[in-house]
Amino acid sequence: MKAPDFSYFEAQNIEDAIKYKSEDDEAIILAGGQSLLPALNMRLSSPSCLIDISKINNLNEIKVEGDFINIGALATHSDVMNNDLIHERLPCLVDILKMVAHAAIRNKGTHGGSIAYGDPAAELPAFAVAMNAEIILNGLAGQRIVDAKDFYLGLFETDLKSDEILTAIRYPLLGHNQHLIFDEVCRRHGDYAMAGLMARVELEQSQIKNLDLVYFATGDKPNIAQNTAKLVINDGYDYERLKKSLASEIDFAGDLNSSSEMKLHLATILINKILNKLER
Amino acid sequence: MSAKNSVNISFSVNGENFDDVTVPTRQHLADYLRSQGLTGTHLGCEQGACGACTIELDGVAVRSCLVLASQANGSSITTVEGFDDEIMEKVKNNFLKHNAFQCGFCSPGMLMTTKEIISSKKKLSRDEIRAEISGNYCRCTGYQSIVDAIEESINEIN
Ligand SMILES: Cc1cc2nc3c(=O)[nH]c(=O)nc-3n(C[C@H](O)[C@H](O)[C@H](O)COP(=O)(O)OP(=O)(O)OC[C@H]3O[C@@H](n4cnc5c(N)ncnc54)[C@H](O)[C@@H]3O)c2cc1C
Ligand code: FES
Ligand code: FES
Repeated sequence: MKAPDFSYFEAQNIEDAIKYKSEDDEAIILAGGQSLLPALNMRLSSPSCLIDISKINNLNEIKVEGDFINIGALATHSDVMNNDLIHERLPCLVDILKMVAHAAIRNKGTHGGSIAYGDPAAELPAFAVAMNAEIILNGLAGQRIVDAKDFYLGLFETDLKSDEILTAIRYPLLGHNQHLIFDEVCRRHGDYAMAGLMARVELEQSQIKNLDLVYFATGDKPNIAQNTAKLVINDGYDYERLKKSLASEIDFAGDLNSSSEMKLHLATILINKILNKLER
Repeated sequence: MSAKNSVNISFSVNGENFDDVTVPTRQHLADYLRSQGLTGTHLGCEQGACGACTIELDGVAVRSCLVLASQANGSSITTVEGFDDEIMEKVKNNFLKHNAFQCGFCSPGMLMTTKEIISSKKKLSRDEIRAEISGNYCRCTGYQSIVDAIEESINEIN
């Protein structure tokens, strides 16, 4: 189908975009367009205006700042995958992005767009939550920083206010005992997952000391499984027990790809896959 | 600040300049190109899934159904009609040789994706080739012949 009518505003800087957005509630930010344009073509959304931020300079920088790596909102998935700093300091992100869509989509889709959109089936929101990332938002009142785990409120619902633009994401660098391990199950390479898991693991003398489990494509947003993580630390992998625990702490929601029961099963076996990947 | 329902833009397609043309803001690039007679760019799904509309925008492959014409201001575009250099002649001949098209609907997108694979200079295994073209649907060939054509092109060119 074809998109409905809307007007178009090319923002030259962040201030312009914020001002325009604060004056028009029905206007919507356009970054890479790889989630927004399909939605418009399918007429799932009818904004008054698209505020194109993709031409704003310097919003795609990737740099190390102290113990953080900072990814500018407009860095495309391809920019991130081809960046030397990311290869050195956050190599797991390269492997994760290989699973995000296909090359032609990664050439346009942006890091900030994926984080801001908050698709529950997307990899990056769950990654940001598992990494304890900080999300940097600029609005009329200036800048504020929100922890990724507080940013996602519900289905496609985030803490982004109507005058705000996401400008960057700050990831704390992993220490040498810390690992981010990820796996997912999908029907075709590059498709959205049927279920996926980001696990942040801290080892002490080859034993798991801390574990955070964050799921995607399971419910309404990145789903944190705190109690299940404790069971894994204490007792290792026991399918029936972990499945029961996951069922009690995540409200699994089926989609076109898989039913809620299928997602619960996949979520459980993903823990085993992650443990097998962990080099100890 | 102003926003309008059409914009005037300039860009080039296959080396030909389009200066100060008026495009509706809601029009995606594929529809604009097709309206100019460049119908080699095909439209299957208009939601990014099938890959038939893949073109090259400023040197990288993109879905032209997911780029607004207005966003292409100042860009340089290559469509399948512009594939006349030596490398793409070789690729097209390999597609012919291996029967890598039947109805031809997916072919412009497949050729674009092949161009990007070749320009990455990587030697890919057959499995890796399949992963690279996983974003391009073909409903006719069963992919085997397409993988054959791409494999031979990589070996010949890189
Ligand atoms: C066929 C296909 C398959 C895909 N598969 C996957 C997949 O497997 N995994 C995955 O994670 N993603 C997938 N994607 C989505 C892709 O990663 C998108 O690029 C990404 O989710 C959105 O980024 P964007 O820059 O394109 O955002 P846009 O489409 O431009 O915007 C998306 C939304 O976020 C808002 N927004 C964007 N940037 C900002 C900002 N800086 N500040 C405030 N609001 C902002 C917009 O207003 C809009 O509501 C797929 C897309 C397609 C078309
Ligand atoms: S028409 Fe653009 S990807 Fe299918
Ligand atoms: S040749 Fe018909 S879709 Fe590929």
